[in-house]
Amino acid sequence: MTETEERTGPPETLIEPIDMSKLDPKFRKEIHSMPNAEELSACFACTTCTAACPIANQWNYKPHQLIRMILLGMREEVLSSKEIWECLTCFQCQERCPQKVKVTDIFFDCKNLAAEEGIIPPNVLALGKSLIEKGQLYEVLNDWEREDLDLEAEVPGLNTDTIKEILRGTRTGRLVGGEK
Amino acid sequence: MSDPVLVIGAGVAGMTAAVELADNGVQVVLVDRKSTIGGNALNLYKAFPTDDCFYCFEGNRWRPGIRKCFYRSAMIDQPNIELMTNTIIQDISGTPSKFTVKLVIGPQYVDPKKCIMCGLCVEVSEAFALESPQCQPQAVTYDPSKLDEGAKKAEQDCPTKAISLDANPSEKTITVSDIVLATGYHEMQPVAVDEYGYGVLQNVITQLELARILDPNGPLGGRLVRPSDGREAKRIMMIQCVGSRDENYYPFCSKICCVFALKHANIIANERADGRVSVVYMDIRTYDRHERYYREAREAGVEFVRGRISRVVSTEDDTLEITVYDSLLDKYLRFSIDLLVLSSALEPPEGLDEIIKTLGLKTASGYVGPADAASEDEVVVGEHVYACGGVLGPAEIPESVNQARAVVSKILQGRK
Ligand SMILES: Cc1cc2nc3c(=O)[nH]c(=O)nc-3n(C[C@H](O)[C@H](O)[C@H](O)COP(=O)(O)OP(=O)(O)OC[C@H]3O[C@@H](n4cnc5c(N)ncnc54)[C@H](O)[C@@H]3O)c2cc1C
Ligand code: SF4
Ligand code: SF4
Ligand code: SF4
Ligand code: SF4
Repeated sequence: MTETEERTGPPETLIEPIDMSKLDPKFRKEIHSMPNAEELSACFACTTCTAACPIANQWNYKPHQLIRMILLGMREEVLSSKEIWECLTCFQCQERCPQKVKVTDIFFDCKNLAAEEGIIPPNVLALGKSLIEKGQLYEVLNDWEREDLDLEAEVPGLNTDTIKEILRGTRTGRLVGGEK
Repeated sequence: MSDPVLVIGAGVAGMTAAVELADNGVQVVLVDRKSTIGGNALNLYKAFPTDDCFYCFEGNRWRPGIRKCFYRSAMIDQPNIELMTNTIIQDISGTPSKFTVKLVIGPQYVDPKKCIMCGLCVEVSEAFALESPQCQPQAVTYDPSKLDEGAKKAEQDCPTKAISLDANPSEKTITVSDIVLATGYHEMQPVAVDEYGYGVLQNVITQLELARILDPNGPLGGRLVRPSDGREAKRIMMIQCVGSRDENYYPFCSKICCVFALKHANIIANERADGRVSVVYMDIRTYDRHERYYREAREAGVEFVRGRISRVVSTEDDTLEITVYDSLLDKYLRFSIDLLVLSSALEPPEGLDEIIKTLGLKTASGYVGPADAASEDEVVVGEHVYACGGVLGPAEIPESVNQARAVVSKILQGRK
């Protein structure tokens, strides 16, 4: 009858816990140094941001959880999450946060980091591609709309060449152009 | 001349009441069952809200932490105060404004008037100890259960002949006009909350024990180490509400443990090289101005996990493998930790229930309750009976001192 056998603790969790030593404690600092993320660590997990968010209802990771994941060092999970890309950038969370955490801007920072590492959802990449190729996201195609309004078919003076040129020199150009 | 006022308990609250009554010309008998006065605050390092000792004067501010001097000589030298340490209350009878109190004074093994704190006895015997260089009275303490050969040698060699190992207890009966209860609180020893392994695993400690470790004037000189092997502790986890807000132990919130946990977390994060602190909590309750400690902790990189500990397992090298349920993430996290610190409930001190019964007082969760719950006079707990500080329920030092001052003003008004 040894003591250890005697000890009755709560049951071992069936799902393996997240091993904190495998997370990246530098991630927090990395985000912290990016634009508008100074107040990141002020977050006290009140969930105001999630309450404010018009889309989080559909998300696996809610905005307050994403902030927590950044603080805990869950780099991979955050940067590969679909949520940061689905954010509507409505800034509701950011305006309401009682600790002045710039939640939306921090998600921009995450997107920038993810993009740097080439982790971009295909639909977003497709948008980038259309921008590079056409210089516009919404191309004015068939002109019946314009005709209905008694306008000439072609948009007068519309020229996207310069913008295409500029975009090709940006990260968007690089991402769409070469590396996956 | 009026009878003296009896103050029971010489912690921050009792000392304040005693000194301020004495300064107003009132005779005071100040009783404490320990040999050294100061109470729980003796064991604290830095104190919120000023990170300093509430009692000290500006000129002394350069020294870190609590100075443990507590009005230094006032307790001893103020002629209106009769200080009786190592003394317990045997019985209280009589009527309000004319109480008869029987005191039992423990054996005076070391005469504080003679001891010059030379340290000779401490060196030759385990039974002697110097609580703090600033202790009041200025004398070493003796624990008769540790009697050894060295103690006998010390008795002979003491340069001032201050030691008398065969001292006997004595009794004294006094008449007092008013009684001030200032017996404070006690930190619960959370052995019964067995999921945390306190009392079984050496690296599981309480906040008061952590305060001792962090104190540069404490036994370890302020080095943050693991009790199991004396190795430096770098990863610290705190768990809040141990035994508080728990119907199995104490239903109340102990009110100040969130603040002192944050105080300790900040000390570790800011003053100890690569100390990493995680705080596991249900709610962080930093009332009024203390919210600042919470924000500073987050800025200092202290990690907050809302949830509870699932299990604590000690590995071969005494590292604690701790699984925590993070309720905000809805995930389980596993940490490797050197030191687990329990923010244990603050409970009424032993013996308080007898005093409450003898004096027929009201109780509030085991502590002393106000005589008239509807009145604003929380310090008035009976006819000519008052209470201040931790004895009314967990309180910080400034609040304890304020209550003591309220008691003083009530007594002075009553004597006009
Ligand atoms: C870990 C920790 C950290 C803290 N940090 C801070 C801080 O930073 N700032 C702050 O403001 N507060 C802090 N506190 C709270 C602070 O300790 C209390 O506010 C203060 O000590 C209360 O003083 P008191 O005089 O009421 O009681 P106590 O300090 O408990 O003193 C009571 C005295 O009464 C004596 N006594 C008890 N029963 C009897 C009896 N029957 N007969 C005779 N004598 C008796 C005891 O021996 C003791 O000397 C902290 C508390 C803890 C546990
Ligand atoms: S609203 Fe701000 S403080 Fe609250 S959880 Fe969101 S980011 Fe954190
Ligand atoms: S900015 Fe994004 S995360 Fe914030 S509320 Fe709007 S959709 Fe939600
Ligand atoms: S030897 Fe005597 S004087 Fe020296 S510390 Fe001990 S009791 Fe005090
Ligand atoms: S002060 Fe904090 S730790 Fe203490 S009982 Fe209240 S909520 Fe729990």
